[in-house]
Amino acid sequence: MAEEIKAEMVANVWKVVASVGDQVADGDTLVILESMKMEIPVIAESEGTLTQLAVNEGDVVQEGDLIAVIE
Amino acid sequence: MTSTVSAPTDQDPTPVDHRDPQLRLRTLFDTGTLRLLVPRDSSGVLAGRGEIDGMPAIGFATDGTTMGGAMGYEGCRHIVDAIDTAVRERVPVLGLWHAGGARIPEGVASLDAVGQVFAAMVRASGRVPQISVVLGPAAGGAAYGPALTDIVIMAGDGRIFVTGPEVVRSVTGEQVDMERLGGPEAHGRRSGVVHVTTKDDESALTTARELAALLGRQGRMSPDDVTDGTDLGALLPPQSNRAYDVKPLVRDLLDAPRSGSGGAGGGSVELHAKWAPNVVTTLGRLAGRTVGVIANNPLRLGGCLDAASAEKAARFVRMCDALGVPLVVLVDVPGYLPGLGQEWDGVVRRGAKLLHAFAEAVVPRVTLVTRKAYGGAYIAMNSRALGATTVFAWPHAEVAVMGASAAVNILYRKKLAAAPAEEREAVRAALIEEQTRVAGGVNRALEIGVVDEVIGPDRTRRRLAEAIAAAPAARGAHGNIPL
Repeated sequence: MAEEIKAEMVANVWKVVASVGDQVADGDTLVILESMKMEIPVIAESEGTLTQLAVNEGDVVQEGDLIAVIE
Repeated sequence: MTSTVSAPTDQDPTPVDHRDPQLRLRTLFDTGTLRLLVPRDSSGVLAGRGEIDGMPAIGFATDGTTMGGAMGYEGCRHIVDAIDTAVRERVPVLGLWHAGGARIPEGVASLDAVGQVFAAMVRASGRVPQISVVLGPAAGGAAYGPALTDIVIMAGDGRIFVTGPEVVRSVTGEQVDMERLGGPEAHGRRSGVVHVTTKDDESALTTARELAALLGRQGRMSPDDVTDGTDLGALLPPQSNRAYDVKPLVRDLLDAPRSGSGGAGGGSVELHAKWAPNVVTTLGRLAGRTVGVIANNPLRLGGCLDAASAEKAARFVRMCDALGVPLVVLVDVPGYLPGLGQEWDGVVRRGAKLLHAFAEAVVPRVTLVTRKAYGGAYIAMNSRALGATTVFAWPHAEVAVMGASAAVNILYRKKLAAAPAEEREAVRAALIEEQTRVAGGVNRALEIGVVDEVIGPDRTRRRLAEAIAAAPAARGAHGNIPL
């Protein structure tokens, strides 16, 4: 089942760490956001294949925006 | 699932249904200590007393092998008696749940009886530890039984819901199975109904034993026994804006678990590990005594407080206060999470619960600012103003309304705008340096007495234990409403 990972807060996309096609495990960092003067890792909450990355470095994400899909 | 296992202490080689309540109670208690409160009958509930690592406790179990464990008048009477007995004897009470709801043939009498179980749980709330273990379905009325207790543990086959998949389908047309509706993922991560999820029944019962021992036999704090010298500061990254997982810090702050005592050996148990993970709530031991640790986790949401995490922490504070468990609060918080979603989610109302919980708590409660404490979240994390027993800080900690660069952008907006463009960054840097010198760090907080003492990370365990041991033991006179 596909797991959609969404932004939990307004933030800048600072670094994209993972790539589409990667095998990811629960707890892996996919993307690092920047907000509140903090680096905020976006973490996989299930294991699977990263099938979509919806953000690029430098983007601004709003709360609820899609960041990645894991299947 | 109807697999069968052999009862461990039975001489009789006949296989026993794994849902058998007597088998489950026997597994919960130390070998050979289970004594039934009343002989087994057709009520669908079994209750008994036993020992957990030598500590007396009361347990009851609904009988998943009879009418799906449905609750009727007689069975509910047994549960009420078990809870009342635990309160009278001041021992923990553990409920093992596998129940499809109220017994339909008994009609409204069964509803009345289930309501009496709820009332007994509320009478006992805050007086003795109440722990629920959901091993099978706990539906309808049986869902609210566990939900009213202090801690809910769910095994892999546990399910909690008010209305099952068939009712959901017939009313709304929504297709959903029992696991998605009310399984470990639903309640461990999404709803926060369940505090601990485990893969199987055995580990659920082991966790229940650990928690019962932590809450029921809290021990005495012996600061002299603390081995310090571990540099806890090494668990923080050198850059102040870098995220890190606070859980290793919580682990190393607490005593290392003793080995070989049958699952009740003084290890630590994290509650609500996956729900609202930006704050960590863990029960463990410090210098031999049970404490509750509340820690911001910068790995999640930058460690910001939000509506859900404030509510989670508030409930934990109130549970610990009602049961006499001192608190250790580890602060590394950039503020409250901003945004429309948070405001509409009630971050003000739910955040107020944390302020209320701390300000009301009478147990010893010590705070340690490890890295930073900013803004409203500084106040909420057991600040001096809310009545902290002692507030410690590590040497490089910062206590302020906000970080220096953010403060400069607000305070000196006009000055920065007026500066020639080519000099603006130099002016900004000088202002940040000045702001850091005047308002940053921990010195101002020390001057006005909102931080008591700066301590080295290598002396932290000892000083926290001494501060708790020096404070008068007290316990809040209130119940533990599931906030």
